[in-house]
Amino acid sequence: MVLELQKPRPIWQIMFSTHHTDVGLLYLILSLSFLFMGGALALIIRAELFLPGAQILGDAMTFNRIFTVHGTTLIFLFILPFASAVGNYFVPIMVRYKDMAYPKLNAIAFWMIPPGAALVWLGFADFTWYAQPPYSIISAPGPAADMWIFGLKILGISSVLGAINFVVTILKCKHPDMSIGQVPLLAWSFLASSLIILVAIPTFAAALLMLLTDRLGVSGFFNPAMGGDPIAYSHLFWFTFHPEVYVLVIPAIGMMYEIIPRFSRKPIYSYNSGVFAFVLLSIVAFSSWAHHMYATGMSFTEKTVFMVGTLAAVPASAMHVFNFIATMWNGRIKFSTPMMWAVGGIALFFSAGAGGVANAAMPLDFSTHDSYWVVGHFHLFVMGTIAFGSIGYLYYMFPYVTGRMYNETLGKVHFILSFIGTILVFFTQHVLGLYGMPRRVFDYPPIPEWIIMNQIVTVGAMIIGVSMVIFLANMIYSSGKGKLADTDDPFGLGGKYYYPFEAKNPKH
Amino acid sequence: MKKFVGLFLVLAVLVIIPAVDSVFAAGDEPGEYLDRRVIIWNLFFKMMTIAFVVGAVVSGTMIWLCWRFRESHPNAKPTSYEGTDW
Repeated sequence: MVLELQKPRPIWQIMFSTHHTDVGLLYLILSLSFLFMGGALALIIRAELFLPGAQILGDAMTFNRIFTVHGTTLIFLFILPFASAVGNYFVPIMVRYKDMAYPKLNAIAFWMIPPGAALVWLGFADFTWYAQPPYSIISAPGPAADMWIFGLKILGISSVLGAINFVVTILKCKHPDMSIGQVPLLAWSFLASSLIILVAIPTFAAALLMLLTDRLGVSGFFNPAMGGDPIAYSHLFWFTFHPEVYVLVIPAIGMMYEIIPRFSRKPIYSYNSGVFAFVLLSIVAFSSWAHHMYATGMSFTEKTVFMVGTLAAVPASAMHVFNFIATMWNGRIKFSTPMMWAVGGIALFFSAGAGGVANAAMPLDFSTHDSYWVVGHFHLFVMGTIAFGSIGYLYYMFPYVTGRMYNETLGKVHFILSFIGTILVFFTQHVLGLYGMPRRVFDYPPIPEWIIMNQIVTVGAMIIGVSMVIFLANMIYSSGKGKLADTDDPFGLGGKYYYPFEAKNPKH
Repeated sequence: MKKFVGLFLVLAVLVIIPAVDSVFAAGDEPGEYLDRRVIIWNLFFKMMTIAFVVGAVVSGTMIWLCWRFRESHPNAKPTSYEGTDW
């Protein structure tokens, strides 16, 4: 692998390169930048909710803008680009090809993200990451909403271009001697998630256009005043964004499939079950979108179908967890920082899944709908599973990318603080939801239980914030002045793994 | 492998059937009076019991795994893959 930071080059050479590791580096830097920006917004939200009443933000509109951009940023500008960074670095190496299938398209897909991000951040819309109609049509203010719509449109096209590239690279450009059954599970995860993107995103692209024309007043698809139906938007949105959950989580699981066997010093227990579970998840991803909408007046039969469709994801998810456990069994596990993040991520994945199973039962869903339970549940997935897997993998790939080692102690401190903070924040939010606190509120009544739980959540969020500052310092310092890494075996695990051979050849 | 698939299917059935059963009990049936609040919380406690039991088993297994198979454990021994290209 090219060691970009060890052999400095003019920044424009990297920016205008189409080489997969250069594009991967750009994705990496962009995604981490937005991790910190989106995370900072989360801390503002939590500081505001530390006590009832207005604390640091003057009005509810500002609060709404902040949580809208927070959600949009961390999903579209951190998690997805981070996965693309990992895919760009490792997928061509894993399938033994010189680059991505379409290098220029790859660079175009990346360079669509900054304008999309600029539209989201400069507009700072206030209608939630869901663009809630009819509010988003009738009264969401000014250019902010339109900028968000255009920004998401651009980001969606970028995702589709990236997905096409991954699918073609894996299926058509893999080494002729390598069968699809020999492609590493991380590459399989990109194949599965890319196929989901190709099926799911066009629906949202259409919904965004309809939303825009509704806003312009030339149509009334989702506008009740013109005979439209906001619930139709819900169906279109969730048809894309429930599968999108799997687009986010599947690469993170793929990253864990790299880390767990490596640090357990033995191969994955069952490669075939991992592949099977990825394929199964990418199918059942489309069987559960309406579980977000039980409260919208669907028929009993529809609700039952989507409840069972939701539960169909359980066996596939459980296969991954059991695969990880069986891999670690009888290994000689080295708990370096990446392994700690991966194991923590598996534990939280299981917790998030258990909460999801409970929430999939429609009578319970009526109690928890739009409450803080939902916030706790999906954050446990995106932070506890996806971010943990991603950050673990970032530590894992750090020596291969920079040629230097990060500070191991700081990496472990980062993990421990984040793990504690994550449990404090998101487990407590589940309970807060059961106590009836609605989500997306700027203020809340001074109920003692609500106050104390909000304070626990805020303290947990601040702990995560501190851990992220440590992480940032570690990354910046170590990438420039860290100890030089042995790129054959940077973690001292013994033996050689399969792709560092390829990584040593800068021409691939 | 087949044993694991069988086990997962059994677990899935164990979760899905009681959930569907309880949902039907929650009733859109005309003329029947059901206290939905009681039904909902019963279902919640039942599902939480299942979730916590399974969670305790899986988490306990993971904690034990991490303790027993860590490289500093007195009984830790190299795997057959160490020192090889794999």
